[in-house]
Amino acid sequence: MKINSNTESTHFESFKEGDQVAFAYFYDQYFSKIQAFSISFIYDKEEAENVTQEAFLHLWENRSNIDSINGIRSFLYTYTKSKCLNIIRHNKVKDRFKDDVLNQKERELDTEILNSISFDVLELTELEHLIHGSINKLPPKTREVFIKKRFEQKKNVEIAEEMQVTLKAVEAHMTKALKLLRNSLSDYITIIFLFIYNN
Amino acid sequence: MISDIIYKYLSNEATEQEVQRLFEWIEASEDNKKHFINIKKTWVITTLSETISTETTPVINIKPKSKAASYLKYAAVFLVLVGLTKLAFDYNQKTKLSKEIVLELGDGRFEYITKNNQTALLNDKGNLIAKKFPNQIIYFGKVKDEEVLYNTLKVPYGKTFRLTLSDGSVVSLNSGTTLRYPEQFGINGNRKVYLTGEAFFEVTKDKQHPFIVNTNQVDIEVLGTKFNVSAYPETPTVNSTLVEGSILMSETNNKSNAILLEPNQMATWFSHSKKMIIKAVDPSFYTAWTKGELAFKDTPFSTIAKIIQRTYDVEIINENSDLAKQNFTGTIKISESSVENILELLKRDTPFNYSINKNTITISNFPN
Repeated sequence: MKINSNTESTHFESFKEGDQVAFAYFYDQYFSKIQAFSISFIYDKEEAENVTQEAFLHLWENRSNIDSINGIRSFLYTYTKSKCLNIIRHNKVKDRFKDDVLNQKERELDTEILNSISFDVLELTELEHLIHGSINKLPPKTREVFIKKRFEQKKNVEIAEEMQVTLKAVEAHMTKALKLLRNSLSDYITIIFLFIYNN
Repeated sequence: MISDIIYKYLSNEATEQEVQRLFEWIEASEDNKKHFINIKKTWVITTLSETISTETTPVINIKPKSKAASYLKYAAVFLVLVGLTKLAFDYNQKTKLSKEIVLELGDGRFEYITKNNQTALLNDKGNLIAKKFPNQIIYFGKVKDEEVLYNTLKVPYGKTFRLTLSDGSVVSLNSGTTLRYPEQFGINGNRKVYLTGEAFFEVTKDKQHPFIVNTNQVDIEVLGTKFNVSAYPETPTVNSTLVEGSILMSETNNKSNAILLEPNQMATWFSHSKKMIIKAVDPSFYTAWTKGELAFKDTPFSTIAKIIQRTYDVEIINENSDLAKQNFTGTIKISESSVENILELLKRDTPFNYSINKNTITISNFPN
């Protein structure tokens, strides 16, 4: 990752000056992450793609207002969060369950979660390092399962087969991973929670 | 267990019944709700993390004579390793001592590619012909054939660099490499470049204007493709490894002595006998360097030492005859391993002592 940091700042400078190649660099870097984030709230891959495209379009149009590389991430996530909230509020999220009460409850929960996450520029860097570090600290097998699930979007059965373990073992690893990560990130999550509740 | 259901829900693998149970549990108490929200937040926030790979490759992973480590899959590339007995170009005394990447322009001026921000390169008419970044230069444009000017880029040991030529072809240059190339290609002529060292070429298709890599005794004519060339002066062979497209390797002074390569083949030129052989290979092994890795497969220590010297810009003196006879297999991530890391790892299988004095490493026998 260290090797990239020089290239990144160069790309950032060019991006600000309107260089489309530099823009494409950031597009490649962040597109799937933003899309994954959106899917967690609007549950539709194509819709999520649309939202992400829009976010990048707006990023490009607002490039002169961005002050740092973290500003790019912050802008993209903030825009996407806002867009997802909008989609939920206008009842445009596709119904996932037959029981409409469940759909309703899901939307409420998602709205609450979105509202409680802030993508402030400074916090973003710290948070990123924290997450990366926390994932790396997971025990090896647990880490592997988590990454396959979260970053490669593999199904549980696929992971079980690839790693030659039982399905139950995969589920146990994921539960463990979430528990450990939640502990590592608990400080961050508590602070945000308090912040929102106090306002 | 509720945590199992939460996880299933987050991975979209929960049944509607399970979701029902989950939501009921959430509504049962404020604590439950908080618990769920925190977990989903953790889940969602992890998309923020930098790209992580599942490969649990340790930083260094070298085993002597054991089964081959797995190599990453690469897009097609062709690699030409050219080792000549003498340099193709004169080394200017000043630049021979330089640890910096040096660009010699058409008019004889020298520029050191330092870690400046992007700058623009102008030709003598004051026109913009290239953009310069810390790790690469991108050229563009064309000129009349008579006005083609050649630049020479020298990459010292310990560094790598990337060049985008004015036709869009991309050349990655390994440590200890010199490339002489036209600042801007001519409108009608061939696209000819001159190489000593090692480079990875991704050549844009242009049937009217064949791309030719000259490595002193051997010409490699390229027909729109990706290939690696290894032509280090201290090695008496030239290797071309083709991944995609097609290339023709021929003796510069005797065009009938030629070999046409297909993807996944490597041709080797022997400068003493002036013969060429061809064999099937896995090109990803030969292009590991372009991805910041060194790959070894039953490689004798003497070769490993040479590669380490180039990559890290150190000198290795080996007085240990046992070590010299050993072969090793494995992969090293260059950015994550220092020379000492590597030596420590080799030591575990073949004990030896070493000492470091400035940039020179001396390896001696292990006392019994």
